[in-house]
Amino acid sequence: MTASHEIETRLREVAEGLLGDRKVDLFLGYEKTTLPFRTSPLFLTAPDKANRLVWNPFCTVNLAVYLARLFKAPADAREAQRAPPAPTVGLVLKGCDTRSVVALVQERQVPREKLVLVGVACPGMADTRKAERALGQYEALGAGEDPQGNVRAVIEDGTEVTLRREEILADACLECRSPTPAIHDFLLGEPSEARNADVARRRAVELESQPPGARWARFQEAFSKCIRCNACRQACPMCYCKDCLLDQARPRWIGAGTDFSDVALYHLVRAFHMAGRCTECGACVRACPMGIDVRLLVRRLNLDVEDLYKYRPGTAIDAVPVLSAFAIDDPQEFLTEP
Amino acid sequence: MSQMPKLQETAPKGAWEPRIVAFLCNWCSYAGADLAGVSRIQYPPHIRIIRVPCSGRINPAFLLRALQNGADGVLVSGCHPGDCHYISGNLAARRKFALFKDLLAYAGIEPERVQFTWVSASEGGRFAAVVEKVVEQVRKLGPNTKLVKRL
Repeated sequence: MTASHEIETRLREVAEGLLGDRKVDLFLGYEKTTLPFRTSPLFLTAPDKANRLVWNPFCTVNLAVYLARLFKAPADAREAQRAPPAPTVGLVLKGCDTRSVVALVQERQVPREKLVLVGVACPGMADTRKAERALGQYEALGAGEDPQGNVRAVIEDGTEVTLRREEILADACLECRSPTPAIHDFLLGEPSEARNADVARRRAVELESQPPGARWARFQEAFSKCIRCNACRQACPMCYCKDCLLDQARPRWIGAGTDFSDVALYHLVRAFHMAGRCTECGACVRACPMGIDVRLLVRRLNLDVEDLYKYRPGTAIDAVPVLSAFAIDDPQEFLTEP
Repeated sequence: MSQMPKLQETAPKGAWEPRIVAFLCNWCSYAGADLAGVSRIQYPPHIRIIRVPCSGRINPAFLLRALQNGADGVLVSGCHPGDCHYISGNLAARRKFALFKDLLAYAGIEPERVQFTWVSASEGGRFAAVVEKVVEQVRKLGPNTKLVKRL
């Protein structure tokens, strides 16, 4: 594993070079914030500011979420005339973020030629909540990383506490099967090997080993905390529809309240829209203010897609998205026969 | 028409009977249901048919809305693969349906609540048999309580 500070130095050089040579108009990365265990997205346009970029275990945000907005198609001809030309964007990408970009290119939301992908071989990102929980009653005043890649936190009385990286890794990272960007223009760090490839499958299969009643109880328990804030939708790089089903008023498909029927419909619809599209970055889980495992259903559905149609979202840039494609001999055991 | 079994004949008055919303494609299944009718083939009167242009037109939100509004079951039927009036509408729909059915199962909704099948315009008998089977299965499950909105 390449040390984070080496990657950070290299990243600043790359960003400075790209902006300095006018290869990109905008560079997306991470910068330090005032809060521990967090970073903030950074939009860079000036090469001399590249030293604000950081790389540490808290670079969690999936920067691909901004792309669909940056390359939003004009609504009509008049708007197209007035719209400034699309920018060229460079961005820092972990394995999962790269899959999101690839999926966006596949779905024709983002032009590949306008992107410079700076991939980082990802050692797995820390989960802010897990780190905070690990400190128990103490609050962190600052946090950094030691040479072994573990997280060091400074707590109130000035003592340093070391949190082992494996213990505070985000769930999505524990399940990650391809942490190194497969498609990139630059690759920083040595490719890291996949962590336990079976975690996602084990978690997902455990769900269906139970009878319907127990599954429903689990679904209710998981999602009844939902306050319908739509943060999971906003955080998701793949949720880019200009006219979201949720925002439609005629018909109002799903009520806006927290009646469990509406909550259930919301999460079923969200999971379904993610089937074969979710690149498993965990942005929805990080965004959820209620700490819901929002990926509960999508995790399983993506495995279905893989088993039935041999397709993994965001892994092949020229592949047709799985639900846009079909084959005459697709499996159809689910049908009712008289 | 006198032979048509009435609701009251199959159950005591006021007892729960399944209500099933059926989404049938215009070109095959709706015609198949029509054929069942003109051929005087008996099938349970528990289904309410909604005609759609193609099974590819069906948004899974339709099915969820039906369940939320009190349907005890949903039946979706289109043309057999290869017979679609729009060439591939049902093929594109098939992948969505397969995943949607699994999704409901993972959430703990009984898979028999939402059923999919293919019925051609010449298969009046098959249509009646499918409806009988679906009604029977939903009757066994009892009323839909999980997704119904009560406000």
